[in-house]
Amino acid sequence: MERVIKDLVVGSQQGFHNDIVVIGIGQTLRGDDSAGLEAVRCWQKRFPRTAASVRVEIIGSPGLELLDLLQGTRAAILVDALQASSTPGSIVRLAPEDLSSFSSSERSAHGWGLAETLQLGLVLHPVLANVQMILLGIVGSEFNLGAEINPRVRSVLDAVADRVEIELQLLLAQSLHKVPACP
Amino acid sequence: MRTIEVPALARVEGEGGLYIGMQDDRVVEVRLDIYEPPRFFEGFLVGRYFQEVPDITARICGICPVAYQMSSIAALENALGVEVDPQVYSLRRLMYCAEYIESHALHIYLLQAPDLLGQPSALDLAAIAPEVVKNALHMKKIGNEVLKAIGGRSVHPVNACVGGWHRWPDVDAFRSLLPELKWGLESALETVRWSVTLPFPELEVEYELVALHHDSEYGVMHGEIWSSGGTRIPVADYETRYIEEHVRRSNALHGHTVDGGAYLVGPLARLNLNHAQLFPEAQRSLHENRIKLPILNPYKGLIARAVELVHFFEEAILLVGAYNPSGPAHADFKLKACEGTGASEAPRGLLYHRYKIDEKGLVRFAKITPPTAQNLPRIEADLFAMAPRLVKMDQETATLTAEHLVRAYDPCISCATHFLKLKIEEALPARTDLHGKSD
Repeated sequence: MERVIKDLVVGSQQGFHNDIVVIGIGQTLRGDDSAGLEAVRCWQKRFPRTAASVRVEIIGSPGLELLDLLQGTRAAILVDALQASSTPGSIVRLAPEDLSSFSSSERSAHGWGLAETLQLGLVLHPVLANVQMILLGIVGSEFNLGAEINPRVRSVLDAVADRVEIELQLLLAQSLHKVPACP
Repeated sequence: MRTIEVPALARVEGEGGLYIGMQDDRVVEVRLDIYEPPRFFEGFLVGRYFQEVPDITARICGICPVAYQMSSIAALENALGVEVDPQVYSLRRLMYCAEYIESHALHIYLLQAPDLLGQPSALDLAAIAPEVVKNALHMKKIGNEVLKAIGGRSVHPVNACVGGWHRWPDVDAFRSLLPELKWGLESALETVRWSVTLPFPELEVEYELVALHHDSEYGVMHGEIWSSGGTRIPVADYETRYIEEHVRRSNALHGHTVDGGAYLVGPLARLNLNHAQLFPEAQRSLHENRIKLPILNPYKGLIARAVELVHFFEEAILLVGAYNPSGPAHADFKLKACEGTGASEAPRGLLYHRYKIDEKGLVRFAKITPPTAQNLPRIEADLFAMAPRLVKMDQETATLTAEHLVRAYDPCISCATHFLKLKIEEALPARTDLHGKSD
């Protein structure tokens, strides 16, 4: 894995890429819900040079403010916990169109999930469809308030960090063939 | 027995269940059961140093953290006899403006408007009227930015303390917000014009309206507690007139007057009692749109929010333009064992706090009465009035109608999951148990 990453780094552009954002999502007080932000923090520690070359955002919940974070980007890597029938700790790579299966019909001011927010964003700002969006989901099992992060989920954070780095290096390599950013 | 179970009251904060019981085609019981955790905060606060209180109470709600934070500060400053500088007070009012802008823009357009326009959700509304939703999100964002400039972040701000502010916010950050606030004012005026064209359901209710009132400003942070029944009391006397009681089925306390009556707090109460203190553009919008007061239709709380939106954009423009701080950001004061009360108007209504602290500054007692707890009996009473109509409707219509009424109140229950189960059933005849007690 390290070798793959090193090979990719060789081909990547240097400098700061304000149009690429990595977003870690999750609430630290809700057990496995924190997996997304913990994975991004882990990636920041292990790959500080790459982390310093793009925008990094940590948010508690993927509310409507997420749309603001996506403004002006051409690519985004979102890392979030998800509930699914797979084994806790499984890592899933999703395309935006896959999110509908995770959509909730119950929306509140607080409760706009990632799926609903992105759907709303696409309706309001069709240009968001041009943003290359990579969603890395970490399957969790315990989301209650006050819960600890599941050891099986914690054990995959390094692997998720590797995955973030690989995805990012591929995006940076693509910077050589720049696509206009979402206005 | 007829039972209707419908999941999901979307677009409210928290979770609850609605129960409607019928006997002989007569509605005998309506209950809005709420599972709301904020009471635990009173326990969390005991033993904490008093300066920790504002940051803890701000965590009660992600939509109205300012009101929780400021009401606790008001109570503690009253207890300690702290006089704050007018600059401190103005900045606090600006923070409220930001919170009202965020909260009202969200509720008007994303939470209630879809009901009035026959849309299942804000997402569906966005599909047919993207510019309307974009404007709403833009207004909300302006509120977020103002709050961030003052409190360091747009949710759960951290700059406020007992005595003032930890530090004065940056003047330049404020100035750059002025063009956006001016755009927001125009957008708010348009919101009022649009709001009066909406198809509100007919419902007139004889409310006892309760709100903070101040003769020289729109009642938000200071003043007396006024009731449309004519009662005018200082905040310190709140508990002699308004009490909360535990209702077995619900984690949320239910508020009522000492006479047992339900009362209404929130934008309708404020607008009806305090319209004379509105800023000029807000006054003009009432006149130009032929909005007659009092408004006693709970669905038309949206109009009251729209008018308040104008007022708070106007006030924010004035306060941002005048912001030029000098001198210390917080007052010095002496610590002592004391007790005090404080209240402010959260976007959803009157919010009351009372604290006792000891000579070391540790909290020994805390009481917090949120607006939604005060409105719960009122929501139930309105649902009771509507229930005969509800039970004649098909399941989907009954659910939407009940949900819309609850949503019109904008209840702020908790930051947890959120659903409503509507259950309508015919009650069995009252049973008598072996000890002769009726159910």
